Amino acid sequence: MKLLKPTWVNHNGKPIFSVDIHPDGTKFATGGQGQDSGKVVIWNMSPVLQEDDEKDENIPKMLCQMDNHLACVNCVRWSNSGMYLASGGDDKLIMVWKRATYIGPSTVFGSSGKLANVEQWRCVSILRNHSGDVMDVAWSPHDAWLASCSVDNTVVIWNAVKFPEILATLRGHSGLVKGLTWDPVGKYIASQADDRSLKVWRTLDWQLETSITKPFDECGGTTHVLRLSWSPDGHYLVSAHAMNNSGPTAQIIEREGWKTNMDFVGHRKAVTVVKFNPKIFKKKQKNGSSAKPSCPYCCCAVGSKDRSLSVWLTCLKRPLVVIHELFDKSIMDISWTLNGLGILVCSMDGSVAFLDFSQDELGDPLSEEEKSRIHQSTYGKSLAIMTEAQLSTAVIENPEMLKYQRRQQQQQLDQKSAPAREPGSAASVAGVVNGESLEDIRKNLLKKQVETRTADGRRRITPLCIAQLDTGVNATSTPAALSPSVLTTPSKIEPMKAFDSRFTERSKATPGAPVLTSMTPTAIERLKEQNLVKDLRPRDLLETSSDSDEKVPLAKPSSLSKRKLELEVETVEKKKKGRPRKDARLMPVALSVQSPAALTAEKEAMCLSAAALALKLPVPGPQRAFTLQVSSDPSMYIEVENEVTAVGGVKLSRLKCNREGKEWETVLTSRILTAAGSCDVVCVACEKRMLSVFSTCGRRLLPPILLPSPISTLHCTGSYVMALTAAATLSVWDVHRQVVVVKEESLHSILTGSDMTVSQILLTQHGIPVMNLSDGKAYCFNPSLSTWNLVSDKQDSLALCADFRSSLPSQDAMLCSGPLAIIQGRTSNSGRQAARLFSVPHVVQQETTLAYLENQVAAALTLQSSHEYRHWLLLYARYLVNEGFEYRLREICKDLLGPVHYSTGSQWESTVVGLRKRELLKELLPVIGQNIRFQRLFTECQEQLDILRDK
Amino acid sequence: MAKVSVLNVAVLENPSPFHSPFRFEISFECSEALADDLEWKIIYVGSAESEEFDQILDSVLVGPVPAGRHMFVFQADAPNPSLIPETDAVGVTVVLITCTYHGQEFIRVGYYVNNEYPNPELRENPPLKPDFSQLQRNILASNPRVTRFHINWDNNTDRPEAIENQDPNLACGLPLSYTPIKGLGLPGYIPGLLPENSMDCM
Repeated sequence: MKLLKPTWVNHNGKPIFSVDIHPDGTKFATGGQGQDSGKVVIWNMSPVLQEDDEKDENIPKMLCQMDNHLACVNCVRWSNSGMYLASGGDDKLIMVWKRATYIGPSTVFGSSGKLANVEQWRCVSILRNHSGDVMDVAWSPHDAWLASCSVDNTVVIWNAVKFPEILATLRGHSGLVKGLTWDPVGKYIASQADDRSLKVWRTLDWQLETSITKPFDECGGTTHVLRLSWSPDGHYLVSAHAMNNSGPTAQIIEREGWKTNMDFVGHRKAVTVVKFNPKIFKKKQKNGSSAKPSCPYCCCAVGSKDRSLSVWLTCLKRPLVVIHELFDKSIMDISWTLNGLGILVCSMDGSVAFLDFSQDELGDPLSEEEKSRIHQSTYGKSLAIMTEAQLSTAVIENPEMLKYQRRQQQQQLDQKSAPAREPGSAASVAGVVNGESLEDIRKNLLKKQVETRTADGRRRITPLCIAQLDTGVNATSTPAALSPSVLTTPSKIEPMKAFDSRFTERSKATPGAPVLTSMTPTAIERLKEQNLVKDLRPRDLLETSSDSDEKVPLAKPSSLSKRKLELEVETVEKKKKGRPRKDARLMPVALSVQSPAALTAEKEAMCLSAAALALKLPVPGPQRAFTLQVSSDPSMYIEVENEVTAVGGVKLSRLKCNREGKEWETVLTSRILTAAGSCDVVCVACEKRMLSVFSTCGRRLLPPILLPSPISTLHCTGSYVMALTAAATLSVWDVHRQVVVVKEESLHSILTGSDMTVSQILLTQHGIPVMNLSDGKAYCFNPSLSTWNLVSDKQDSLALCADFRSSLPSQDAMLCSGPLAIIQGRTSNSGRQAARLFSVPHVVQQETTLAYLENQVAAALTLQSSHEYRHWLLLYARYLVNEGFEYRLREICKDLLGPVHYSTGSQWESTVVGLRKRELLKELLPVIGQNIRFQRLFTECQEQLDILRDK
Repeated sequence: MAKVSVLNVAVLENPSPFHSPFRFEISFECSEALADDLEWKIIYVGSAESEEFDQILDSVLVGPVPAGRHMFVFQADAPNPSLIPETDAVGVTVVLITCTYHGQEFIRVGYYVNNEYPNPELRENPPLKPDFSQLQRNILASNPRVTRFHINWDNNTDRPEAIENQDPNLACGLPLSYTPIKGLGLPGYIPGLLPENSMDCM
């Protein structure tokens, strides 16, 4: 191990509260107190790593400093991508910084240091919400969320994709929250506060998972920060300041059951910061020794108020190294390099130390693939199927594919390109504007500048623009190789006896990091839970009358405890007993409830004749008069007045229709029970089972239709008229073409169960009737097959488990309007939830997602909703591409392409729901091109499309 | 985060005779196009003892301001000698450049100004009544004192959190409300403006 204190890393003697190394290892940021403001400084890493670079005056040490925080900066953190830097401070703000490329470097005006900023980092977002000092910030493992905690006792989760949107505010701490850490697989976030508790929150619903207080009972609240850390394998959470037998410790909390049996002891004062090495290590294989695989282990650095630093390996009971007297004041923050071999430590005394380890000391780091394999096998998390490293070995066979990939790269490059300025060439300050040097401009500025007078006689100067802003990322920096250099060792290094981690019985049984210990038992337990839960989901409890017998065992992963699940079962049973429920949305059932229509029904007994009604839907009673709004834009309404005019003792009913001011009216001989209209037709159902249809101008289109039984519901869409009768038969006619679409189809098959009712009726633009039933299912009638098809089910477990977020083209793409969306309502959130349920095995999630997407495609097709069909088909294809399902993708492409050479026997239709299949295929091609694995398919499709085009 | 940050203020023609105009070349950067103009002011502090001797030398509107880096020269006439107390005419005083947006001051740049007779004789035996025509103004350009204030940059005024760090006096747009920086030292620090740092003791 080598140790170095680069004295040039300082805030002019002011405390440094935070340090963080950029993921590419070329720079690091410090945050702390500046001259009457907060200060963030970005430093060059290479002078720390290499002595030659440190001495070379052409290599800048400080890259950028930002004095924008109004008060002390408590935390700086790079996003995992390295694109952003977040800083939080006593001014209650979080600032998010991004690299910008400008003409020329800049100085912070008015700051005592006159050093030019070599790199330009610009604040792109400012996050205001906390009402007190921000103590810690943390990016989630995939940079989707940014968490911040504050002395206002809250933790705020920001949507990092859409700043400054707040996703959640985690309330529950009763003291200043001083540290945050994300679970490496993204399921939890943990916070530690002065209220002597450490809380773990679920990212699924942002609710409290557990609160751990016991190890903190004896703690006093005098530590400036409590930076806790989660191990990279996800198994352990290590707290900052905890107490055990009046001695300060860092408490080890096991993910499994949140047990607190172990701790790191030995520091004489409170532990301020714990930081796990991002790498997982395995024992260095000594040549000649038996090649038995050893358990992987983690490495952790602990800093304390006692000014000392200890580094631990989870496979050892003693610390690897303890360094005393490294600083004059408390250690405030620690950051590991991404390769896991170096750490930067900062202190309240305003200095920074760098420690450099060798692989002999720490072990062999696992590769990222091995690490993600551990995550996947333990937590079933679905990571990107093909990583960059795997891709690089694939050979691109098709020039078109190559072109496509190149174009993509070019686009990325374009975004990045900009006048890239190499660090070190900062000498020339003068930029050039329109070929004129800045110096020339300055000479004549006063003469040149445009000055006008405002209406009230004030001088107004139009400033001269000398540079456009551009936030393009300067991508010129390349990771500096970490090479050993001569480092000074100013402080004593000794392994210390007092340092000892106390292990319990359980952990003694599995020495080393028990990375892969208890996977199978949990899985079994989980399965048991699933069977127990069946499909009782809290979400649906309120709207379900759950009569369906086909309870599919849900693949729903449950992070809830068993006890909670049992509670839910009880709730459901209570609900069942409490029937009949009063739900205004559902129509009362004629059989069990006396409806006002009963009287009418008696009156019309002769009309009903001997119709044996197995099912009876409610019928509307006659009203004196009623008005019906058909549409608001164009404004159209129907007015009905019954028994108004008497001509020779015969009472007539009047029907009036007003469409954008144009009015027509007509009379009918019997009382009108119900009316419906669309922009093409108006229809009314009268007593004596008569149905009349009029054109938009009031012309009668057909002689009255005699319905088989009294009308229950009447509906019009376009030129389609749908009539649902009291006997639960359904008919749909196209009155313009004068054809029947659905002929007296019985609802028997879908209205099973005694209290099932139709809650909503929909008739699509294509004349497809859809029945939404009270049990949350929706069926549409498929006229070509004469079948009822299930198109939506509120209790659909697939919808809840499907995770296809990664296949969505953009955030808003979720919203696709159409009949399917109307029927299914907002189910779009469910997929998002599923994404957070990492405990589902990846394979199961894939299957459910596929099944769900296929359901959607088929449903959209049956509903003949072309817009939605296209939406779901593209989504489905994108998912197939992302997850690498070749056969299904090939089948889709084959169907869309059709036969290239015309043959008479071909059954192939060139369009589907009004969309040209080959056009759809063209849309699919770029999607397919995203995965090199499908390059052959891409080539085939493209060639054949070209052939077809040439024809 | 301020939408406008001042990159540099260059003091032109310095030192210069007392009666010559002030000239500052100001470059600033704007992160987002501004809906309204910026208002810049030059304030000459006639006497360190009282702000009643402050003179606003000039104020200009600067706009339109799109995103980017901009520069302009702000020229203002010399202070009116008759408004300066005779005892304060010679010696060190202060000139301030302030910028406000929507009446809220977000930056204040202060320079020490030394007025003295270049003529050694006059320096030794200054006339009782100051001879302004002989005085030379020397702005201590190398040491600007910059104070930044957090203001509400958005149009909607119903966001109190954005201006909570701000001295209410400043929000009212009172031009001469910098009492705290009197008593010389001209610190770029106004105690009431910055929240206490809650750092704990070791």
